Amino acid sequence: MATQQDLESFITEVTCPDDFDDFWSVTLDQLSRISLKPVITADPMRSNDDVHVFNVTYLSLGGLEISAWYCLPAHGSGPFPIIVNFPGYKSEPPVRRDWGKKGVAVLSVAVRGKLKSSGEFNPGYPGLLTAGLESKETYGYRGVIADCVRGVDFIRSRPEIDPERIYACGSSQGGGLTLITSALRPEIKAGVAGYPFLCCYPEAMTMFRSYPYDELACYARAYPGEKEGMLDTLRYYDAVNFAPRIKCPMVVGIALDDEVCPPETSYAAYSALTGHKELWLFPNSGHGNAHEYPGQERAWLEGQIGLKAAVA
Amino acid sequence: MTTSADNYWQETEAALAEFPVDVRLHRDDFYSQSDWDVYQMRYTSADGFRLFAWLSVPKSGGPFPAIVRMPDYGSVQDIVYTPLRERAVVMNPTFRGQRRSDQVIQAQFPGLLTEGIETAESYVMRRVFADLLRGIDALSVQGQAQLREIALIGSGLGGALALAGAARRRSVIAVAANTPLALGNPVSFDPGLGYPLAELDDYLRLYPTRRETVVQNTGDLDLLNVADKITAPVLLSVGINDTSTCPLAFGEQLAAKIPDCDLRVYHGAAEGGGHEHAQIQLSWLADKLGIG
Repeated sequence: MATQQDLESFITEVTCPDDFDDFWSVTLDQLSRISLKPVITADPMRSNDDVHVFNVTYLSLGGLEISAWYCLPAHGSGPFPIIVNFPGYKSEPPVRRDWGKKGVAVLSVAVRGKLKSSGEFNPGYPGLLTAGLESKETYGYRGVIADCVRGVDFIRSRPEIDPERIYACGSSQGGGLTLITSALRPEIKAGVAGYPFLCCYPEAMTMFRSYPYDELACYARAYPGEKEGMLDTLRYYDAVNFAPRIKCPMVVGIALDDEVCPPETSYAAYSALTGHKELWLFPNSGHGNAHEYPGQERAWLEGQIGLKAAVA
Repeated sequence: MTTSADNYWQETEAALAEFPVDVRLHRDDFYSQSDWDVYQMRYTSADGFRLFAWLSVPKSGGPFPAIVRMPDYGSVQDIVYTPLRERAVVMNPTFRGQRRSDQVIQAQFPGLLTEGIETAESYVMRRVFADLLRGIDALSVQGQAQLREIALIGSGLGGALALAGAARRRSVIAVAANTPLALGNPVSFDPGLGYPLAELDDYLRLYPTRRETVVQNTGDLDLLNVADKITAPVLLSVGINDTSTCPLAFGEQLAAKIPDCDLRVYHGAAEGGGHEHAQIQLSWLADKLGIG
């Protein structure tokens, strides 16, 4: 199990490319030229007395149709605060009805490659982490991140949502995407990143032999001549390089016995945050299974949203 | 076992017997490593469905014990990962509708739990259980790895599939099941549950007149029907706050019916033992398989 000293003494070799901001500025500019074309379809089977559930689609980078679950409180006319939930690497985007009773909407994004958004891009699992690694322009995560950004654009297009109260959360890949999207979309007012993935790739791919990071080790072994280029591409997608660009309050939750997303790598992203930040360390916990985490996440978000005082 | 459930399992075995297993293995050069080879495995289940599994085989030595990690409730089954893979053959099978086994049907999540639930013949979950029995069969007849004992592990749906598999296949010598899905048990219809069990309540809210049919078509899958047939030792973990997969009362009933069950009850967030139990399970499995 890692200690806090291990985390604090860890120094990543990841550096930020000089053209990092330009690259993402161009990407967001390309995205802005694509019409959102949102389609909202009620799902009566998933709706109940407290929550109206909708299946949403919108267009993202490359014109791909992206799907999301959209849960709106059944009572009240809004505008509602909203949490955007980013998905884990292999898990299904959840239908988050649990916030409806509290008067909070949730958008749960199925990024490209997920079951509901796999019509035109389906690298599979394993596979997503290495799809298009040949260059920063072709890397699959360029689209994945754009899909998350586009989710915020969808939210901002909705009259029933309060644009001043947009929050973000997710665990594992969802934690990494929470950090990255919060850097690219300042409309997000606060976020919780649990066990964040997508941090410190050069170290993360060698510290354990667990997936998904091991996909990168397999790639480097299969194509040794391309390892340097791979690591250069990944610099543009490392949450450590997005972290200093986040202006909103952010929590990073880390399990000290995490053998999927090494705690040192997640801590590096936390260290790179320059705004208001909190660190939750969970000793004797592994990836995604700290018993206290869900309750703490809920309480902290409730505090940010203004539902009640956050717990210490 | 109820007569209906007994008939279901007999029909399931008969449906499997209609098709040869027809195992095909393809070494995956990309994911194979210095200590183990990874294979993409394909075989035939009931109705002629071709299914996919990941198979990891240690490079040298053998015969090896085998661990079958039954799939969770989701579209993706992990590629093999366990610290035991250097000392054991590990198989991660899929069921129909999951990725790489989705040529005919593509499972939806939420949605799979009620897919085709209108009739016993069309209810996909009844075939999901068949698919995982066939996975054990395929492992047993594949020619790549020399096998010793077989252990089954799984969580949620995977936990239920592991227990059912042990009840139906005597080659299984140990089962580690976490929060097995209470599908088919009356508790699964309680209002206010979380997903995936909440799918049943969702369905009945929309189609209240179909309740009797739903109860009947899921009831044969209640693990309580087969629990007393499990001869292998079972390590079972449940959580006192679980309201979406294995409510505590169901877990306790199940443990009471399994002849050799080590029940661990955790006071965690919801899902059972989490990291603490993962460590216990690893040691328990290594001990049962003689690779400690």
